[in-house]
Amino acid sequence: MNIQKLKNKIKKDISYDIDISIQNNALKLEGVVENWEQVIKAGKIAAMSDFDGVINNLKFINQEKENFINTDLKDNKLNNKKYDVIIIGAGIIGCSIARELSKWNIKILVIDKENDIAVHTSSRNDGMIHPGLSPKPGTKKAYYNVLGNKLYEKKSKELNFEFKRTGSLIVFDKWHLKFISPFIKLRAKKNGVYLKYVDKKQINMIEPNIDKNLIGGFLIPSTGIISPYKTTIAYAENAVENGVDISFETFLKDVYKENNEVVYIETNRGRIFTKCLINCAGVHSDEVAEIVGDRFYTIHPRKGEIIILDKKTGNFINSVVSKTDFNLKNNSKGGGIIKTVEENLLLGPNAYEQPYKEDYSTTSKGINEIMNKHSSVLKQINKKDIITYFSGTRASTYKEDFIIKQSSKISNFIHVSGIQSPGIASAPSISEDVEKITINILKSKTNINQNIKYNPNRKGYPILYLLEDKEKNRIINKNPDFGKIVCRCEMISYGEIKSVIHSNIPAITLDAIKRRTRVGMGRCQGGFCTPLLLKIIHEETGIEYEKILKKGLGSNLIFKETKKFGDDFIERI
Amino acid sequence: MKEYEVIIIGGGPAGMAAALKVNNEGCKALIIEREERLGGILKQCIHDGFGVLKFNERLTGPEYALKYKNIIKNKDIDILLKTFVIEIKKDKDFHIKIINENGIHILKTKTVIFSTGCRERTSKQIFIQGERPAGIYNAGTAQYMTNIMGFMPGKNCIILGSGDIGLIMARRLTLEGAKVLGVYEIKDTPSGLTRNIRQCLYDYDIPLYLSHSITKIFGKERIEAVEISKVNKNYELIENSKKIIKCDTLILSVGLIPENELLEDLGITIDKKTNGAFVDNDFMSVEIPGIFICGNALHVNDLVDYVSESGEIAGKKACEYIKNKKTNNKNTKVDINENFLYIVPQYINENSNDEIIFYFRSKKRFENAKLKIFLDDKIVEKNYNKLIPAEMEKLTIKNIKNKKISMILE
Repeated sequence: MNIQKLKNKIKKDISYDIDISIQNNALKLEGVVENWEQVIKAGKIAAMSDFDGVINNLKFINQEKENFINTDLKDNKLNNKKYDVIIIGAGIIGCSIARELSKWNIKILVIDKENDIAVHTSSRNDGMIHPGLSPKPGTKKAYYNVLGNKLYEKKSKELNFEFKRTGSLIVFDKWHLKFISPFIKLRAKKNGVYLKYVDKKQINMIEPNIDKNLIGGFLIPSTGIISPYKTTIAYAENAVENGVDISFETFLKDVYKENNEVVYIETNRGRIFTKCLINCAGVHSDEVAEIVGDRFYTIHPRKGEIIILDKKTGNFINSVVSKTDFNLKNNSKGGGIIKTVEENLLLGPNAYEQPYKEDYSTTSKGINEIMNKHSSVLKQINKKDIITYFSGTRASTYKEDFIIKQSSKISNFIHVSGIQSPGIASAPSISEDVEKITINILKSKTNINQNIKYNPNRKGYPILYLLEDKEKNRIINKNPDFGKIVCRCEMISYGEIKSVIHSNIPAITLDAIKRRTRVGMGRCQGGFCTPLLLKIIHEETGIEYEKILKKGLGSNLIFKETKKFGDDFIERI
Repeated sequence: MKEYEVIIIGGGPAGMAAALKVNNEGCKALIIEREERLGGILKQCIHDGFGVLKFNERLTGPEYALKYKNIIKNKDIDILLKTFVIEIKKDKDFHIKIINENGIHILKTKTVIFSTGCRERTSKQIFIQGERPAGIYNAGTAQYMTNIMGFMPGKNCIILGSGDIGLIMARRLTLEGAKVLGVYEIKDTPSGLTRNIRQCLYDYDIPLYLSHSITKIFGKERIEAVEISKVNKNYELIENSKKIIKCDTLILSVGLIPENELLEDLGITIDKKTNGAFVDNDFMSVEIPGIFICGNALHVNDLVDYVSESGEIAGKKACEYIKNKKTNNKNTKVDINENFLYIVPQYINENSNDEIIFYFRSKKRFENAKLKIFLDDKIVEKNYNKLIPAEMEKLTIKNIKNKKISMILE
């Protein structure tokens, strides 16, 4: 659309008070509008331009400021350290890039403002490895998704995480079959995704339990499933095994540049020098780009809520089923019924725009909608089977595509932003590409070689429930701790918990242990094992009980010990 | 492969009572217990009031458990502690796969008694929305932390649900120095025993708000506040009744769910009313003979005395089953009208000559209730001054052999 027309449309449709300018080859919107819907609407109109992106700085009345930084930690732990590459963000994108880069004999640092891996979007999704059907042909999303999907067998074998290529089924009622089916076929062809039409009878054979009114659909064999948090951790641990450093509770405050090149970054833990800076900050990547001085996009968080059902329901379906109400304008996945690697069913996610990036609250409206939508496809599912639900925010840009490129302004800065769904599926291909971009940048500055000690294979720790009895016995004989069950619902042993507490990225909060082992993720939701975990963390790490956290700073679980006469008590006497 | 006549899964008050009875009847029993000590949840119940019916004494939970433990110690009863049952398979006998420090083993047994107790309903299972911070505890979890580990789980607490454990924790936390801001109950009547409402709330000036529910949780890391709404008779939220109350701890006492996953794996149907299995008056599953279920795994009891009593029945009947090599019991369903919340057992064995113990709860509050029991065409009537869902009733009926039975509560 013509730029003047676009400006007029924004002003006319939304507000004449919006200030529209051009910056970094992006359309920039400023001003105050009435509500969040208007902010989004203005951004979407602006995205119709041919510019690289939209900088949407619009505010709305009564907008609250979100405080992202939870730590007031300030030390000089990293001061004056020198790295070849600094990666901002320890989600699946940051961790997978770090791991691919660890093939090279370079010094790599991953920083994250949180106290563990995969705290945000990477652990707040359904773990589906999309086949690459949904993205618009020709987009980066389509390219990386199809490529990434293919790489999952290899990565799963190397990094020792669970991956199942379960296939998926898109099903239609009569109306949708007629109108949408040709469109899907065409898109599959363009994106290079194999699919097969299945009629009612075949659907019934593949998924006997789903609604009989669904008369046709497509089987997509390449769809897969992983545990997104475990996969991210696997990437991170292999990266660390290969020499990558990770620093938590560390955030970017400023950058110092010379000749349009980053020389060092200022963090709360000191000044760190780098030859290359990679932005994998997820929902916050636009803020990072702003600090570095090459922002041409805005992340508008699109929330998705997901319901987890009891493992009992795992036998209702065999893989992933989604009934399409294929909205052609939909920018994200509509959600489905997904059987996880652990055989729970997940329902969702839904998708709606919200102003706050880290607002993970759930709503009864959302949960009811998801439940109603999917119980119409699979009648057996019941509210009684709900174990829990959660939400995450997708890092969407107004252009609705991934941004993966070397900055055109700051020569040693790489954008890996806007990685929303299908980000998990695309991570393996994105990271291999970013590896190439990074190495090119570094090669122009210095001589670099392969890391001869690089080991692509991560050993990991035993996951008891996955093993055959014979193998379980062998492990328990060697270490009886693996025979002591701590989490009764998910059957997680004391030995496994000890292993992750002492792994190369130590898990010392409840949620960190949970993300690695699934302890407390079962039907009792930690009712029985939470106190036991406190004891184990205390005994293994020496952390005082009062200081043990559930998640981030301030999430302490208990206030004080009551039965022990502590030092202060004795002092008072 | 080690063989037993009776394997009891769960060493709480039901399991211990069952084991003793099995031993008294001359059969060989094994108790499999997950924790390091026998006693189940009793270990953390340091308040008194246990054993009033059974021992005519007011004991604490640990005292009650100790009484059983001391007797069991001197009997020929095998006990496996820190042992977890992974799966149960059935052919002619039952094969129980266990895991412990010695590895994985399979045990063979003629009968299995399930005394696996309950777990607690969580905030998500009652559809509380909002954030997921630290500081939301089930009452039992908070009780374990306070009484067994010696921790203060919170300072300014809100309690949701007026179940007994929640009420007891209201008092307990107050005694530890916490401020309990209030107990909120969605129903218009309390869920816990009357004596607990009086002794745990009124005696400590803790307010009880009926017809209220928590609708949202605030706080990213540790809980900071909750949104409370009033509800009508149908539990629908009343507009404009929302109130936000600051707190650092939310304790949930919103119901117990019998732990029956092992039974379900065997193909046993769950009674939607009790959340336990369907059993006859032998407390034997009506679907798979040789499986007995007792205690809170069968239905949620209000007094531990009943829990032990059901364990004894299950133990006795398991031994009879082994000795008589009985096949399927011939069962008839006990007909009840809609004023019952539930009745246990749901079936009676037509050939049974014993007096039969029924446990039931009424669906709502009744003053001057009348229970009519029809045995074929004979009618027996029983009057109750007061029936409330929170308090379980026990009923003993004799001479029931070969009779159809139905009950009407009005």
